[in-house]
Amino acid sequence: MNATEAALAEKELDEAARVAHEYRLAKNKRERRARLFKHIFLIFFSFIMLYPLLWLLASSLKPENEIFGSLGLWPSTFNWSNYSEGWEALPVSFTIFYRNSTIVTVLCVLGNLFSCSFAAYAFARLEFTGKRLFFGLMMMTLMIPYHVVLIPQYVMFLKLGWVDTYLPLIVPRFLASDGFFIFLMVQFFRQIPRELDEAAQIDGCSSFKIYWAVILPLSLPALATSAIFSMIWVWEDFLAPLIYLNDIQNYTVPLALRLFIAQEGESAFGQMFAMSVLSLVPVVIFFVAFQKLIVRGIATSGMK
Amino acid sequence: MKNTKARNASGYMFLTPWLLGFFLLAIGPILVSLYLSFTRYDMVGDPRWTGFDNYIYMFTRDRRFWKTLEVTFHYVLFAVPLRLIMALSVAMLLDKGLRTIGLYRAIFYLPSLLGASIAIAILWRQLFSIDGVVNQVLAVVGIQGVGWITNPSTSIYTLIILAIWQFGAPMLIFLAGLRGIPRDLYEAADIDGTSRFRKFYAITLPMLAPVVFFNLVLQIIEAFKIFSPAFIISNGTGGPADSLLVYTVYLFNEAFKFFRMGYASALAWVLLLIIGLFTALAFATSKYWVHYENERD
Amino acid sequence: MAVSRRKFLTTTGGLALAAGLPAMPALAQDRSIRHFWWGNPERDKRTFEVIEIFDKNHPGISVSGETIGWGDYWTKMATQTAGRNMADLVQMDYRFLFEYVRRGALQELDPFIGNGLDLSNFDKGPLQGGMVDGKLYALNIGSNSQVFVYNEAIFEEAGVADTDVINWTWDQFADVCKTITEATGGKVKGSDDCSVVLEVCEVWIRQNGSSFFGPDGDVTVTPDIIADYWQFWRDLRAEGALRSADKSLDANLPMSDVGIVSGDTAISNFWSNQIVGVQALMQDPVGAAMVPHKEGGDPGQFIKPSMFMSLTRDSEDPEAAIMYMNDWINNPEATKVLGLERGIPANPDVRAALAPDFTPAERVSVDYFNAIQDKVGTLPPPEPKGAGEVRDAFIRAATNVVLGDIEPQQAAEVFVDDAQAIIDRAR
Repeated sequence: MNATEAALAEKELDEAARVAHEYRLAKNKRERRARLFKHIFLIFFSFIMLYPLLWLLASSLKPENEIFGSLGLWPSTFNWSNYSEGWEALPVSFTIFYRNSTIVTVLCVLGNLFSCSFAAYAFARLEFTGKRLFFGLMMMTLMIPYHVVLIPQYVMFLKLGWVDTYLPLIVPRFLASDGFFIFLMVQFFRQIPRELDEAAQIDGCSSFKIYWAVILPLSLPALATSAIFSMIWVWEDFLAPLIYLNDIQNYTVPLALRLFIAQEGESAFGQMFAMSVLSLVPVVIFFVAFQKLIVRGIATSGMK
Repeated sequence: MKNTKARNASGYMFLTPWLLGFFLLAIGPILVSLYLSFTRYDMVGDPRWTGFDNYIYMFTRDRRFWKTLEVTFHYVLFAVPLRLIMALSVAMLLDKGLRTIGLYRAIFYLPSLLGASIAIAILWRQLFSIDGVVNQVLAVVGIQGVGWITNPSTSIYTLIILAIWQFGAPMLIFLAGLRGIPRDLYEAADIDGTSRFRKFYAITLPMLAPVVFFNLVLQIIEAFKIFSPAFIISNGTGGPADSLLVYTVYLFNEAFKFFRMGYASALAWVLLLIIGLFTALAFATSKYWVHYENERD
Repeated sequence: MAVSRRKFLTTTGGLALAAGLPAMPALAQDRSIRHFWWGNPERDKRTFEVIEIFDKNHPGISVSGETIGWGDYWTKMATQTAGRNMADLVQMDYRFLFEYVRRGALQELDPFIGNGLDLSNFDKGPLQGGMVDGKLYALNIGSNSQVFVYNEAIFEEAGVADTDVINWTWDQFADVCKTITEATGGKVKGSDDCSVVLEVCEVWIRQNGSSFFGPDGDVTVTPDIIADYWQFWRDLRAEGALRSADKSLDANLPMSDVGIVSGDTAISNFWSNQIVGVQALMQDPVGAAMVPHKEGGDPGQFIKPSMFMSLTRDSEDPEAAIMYMNDWINNPEATKVLGLERGIPANPDVRAALAPDFTPAERVSVDYFNAIQDKVGTLPPPEPKGAGEVRDAFIRAATNVVLGDIEPQQAAEVFVDDAQAIIDRAR
């Protein structure tokens, strides 16, 4: 190889390195730009999604006569008293309403998770007579408009002496009353590879053991999603508490929020908004904590 | 034989809570509502048997029944697909990358947290009023808006927009589903140099089918049963010229405002049949597009 | 075939009972009664205070107060009625009173008059309002009437502040609306469009010597009168003196969306017990005007009970309940706490005792109430079953008129036919 050739080869190598380098730079730049666009888009989109909350916050701080008259978000004066006064504005303090809501919500979420995952496991993984029929009936309970079963249900709970207690709210959740969660979990359980059950079965595991040690741990995203939904829906549920709770001492937070608004006479919108903002706090905390559990499952990366 | 017995035993064991709930708490009231649909019942006196009168009246003489069907189908037709598309796109956007993803998830879920509260009703009425924010924005691009909620020909769309905007629940379910798709499938595709578009059709959609199916069925059911948003936005009336009179709002007013629980029950059973029909259709077609991992049935 | 009530209930409850689930024992209490009302924070506070006073004065009887907002009140009430579990005492509204009485959910109060319930110092007019078929079913705990609330600052600005708003006619009203619209350059319109408001239309109908429903519950108003009413508003709209059409289609607007509150108009219609609430949402001071009169016509407006207290069919201790009811209207300790919050009390002594403590808005409403006393007509006959639905039909018809989809005359004819059909179906 002569000098010219060597120089040429070197030049070519340089050239190749330069092209590669430029390519990398361009790729980085492109990726960075894509990420930037994604961020800009997300931020803009976030504003649209956040607008109602900003509006709610602003309204909770505005003087009563400014909430409806002016369109601007920014309050003329910051009325923090809506929070302190709103907390005690009703005959019973919000401390009591939060306590009540917490009791009901915790028990209902637990009930939902256990009873629905039980039923879902049966529907998704086990074979038994009448499975299709029961599944159909379960779907039917999802479809019937709630308002027409309200009265017979009320009469039934009244006969049991459960009216004005939390039992009509809680007991049904322990009996898998919400088909939504059963169906949701069924869809996720069916995605778990059968080989895992079979392997466990060969190892002599009971079906309960399989449910507990195989299915549940592998369905963390589904369980977290169910927990989030049942927490939010129970916390915000309004109709059942309205019908079943009489004594104001037993009221839950959403019910209490309805006490602020009057058909005639003075409503307290500012205080209602302030308390609405506060009522979102536990839900948001719960959401942020539990959405972390919606992660990539172990099974899906390990299985081949 | 023994095998079947054992299988049944463990099946029923897991189904016990549901069976108890269904037979003790759920089926009774459902059957009573079926019975009531053949009666005239004002909730104060006793129900009076009237045979098929309620159903005959509904189909032959009740003009508002057809109106409410029209409004409801209109809503379902737009809200279900648009909401699902929105939820799926955002879920895919949020599935990977970006460190701040948890924050975005929370932000995108927020509108759904506000649900159908009084606050949302007031906000919506302000946003879409003639001099509201929406029209102010439209004015910038030179469009003269109307009072969206108070105008009978546009009010249903404010309800549809609300549904799309509250896409949090299906989004979260899609996210959970996306997390269940094995990474190695994508890695293999990357090695083969598959395009993004192709990956979506060849991997994401089929793997996500069970979850898409779930969301589709649930959104259909929920859309047909939509109540609270329509009720609060229209102040319980069904809106100007019945333009927001979705089925369950009509049903609710028949029952609780006009004391016709018998007729309302009949309405409910007709709705149940309609929803059942669409759900059955979804289940029937699912054979062709929903396949479960390693399932051999 | 009528299934007996008991049988119907046992079939529903039976399934659950079969499981042998234990019933919760009733709380041991000597005598207890339940009082259920729709409220707001202020009213709830006051009412619970009255309950405390009663509990203190009547050891051995405990009252449990149950409250919820108006919108949810009737759902819960209907459910409890169906379950035969109504509270002993319920708050009643004029619109629903007849529905509940006709269906047998309320108890007659006549046997208790002078026998636990002292009505000797109770105005006769308001008492009448609680009567159905000559029997007393509901005790008036506050009276009410229609009112056109106006923005005093804008009246001042437009130079119409000296209008005699108690005696004005529809023509004068129209002139005021036009003047205001001109004076503000169209920024503030004269008035809300009341086409969809049945309550104002009813005043118009009575001014024309007719009535909406006849004594037997049939629709007696002629389409012409209603068409004239709609035409009046249509003409005023053509002059540009009314709120925009698409904000005039909802007769159930939240107080916050009504024209005078949102700043769109100078005049809006309300019930007189809403004056205080309207003022609270507004910066400008408000005044109270009567619904305009027809020149040479009959008195159209009337004083209507705004709220009643009724004894229900399900009450197990009517005596204790009546004791509580009596305290409400006669015990100065209780009436002082209640104030004007539920409307103007029907006991003159109570009114006199309250007068020194009125706020400006309360003063406006009491003065208004005193001013209209001899300008109003008699209470219309009780509404027939189905009246609520007729109201909805009226709103639907009026909506189409406001939108210009149909001529007033034609709409009125269709509406009157529809209304009669609704009444017939409800029978």
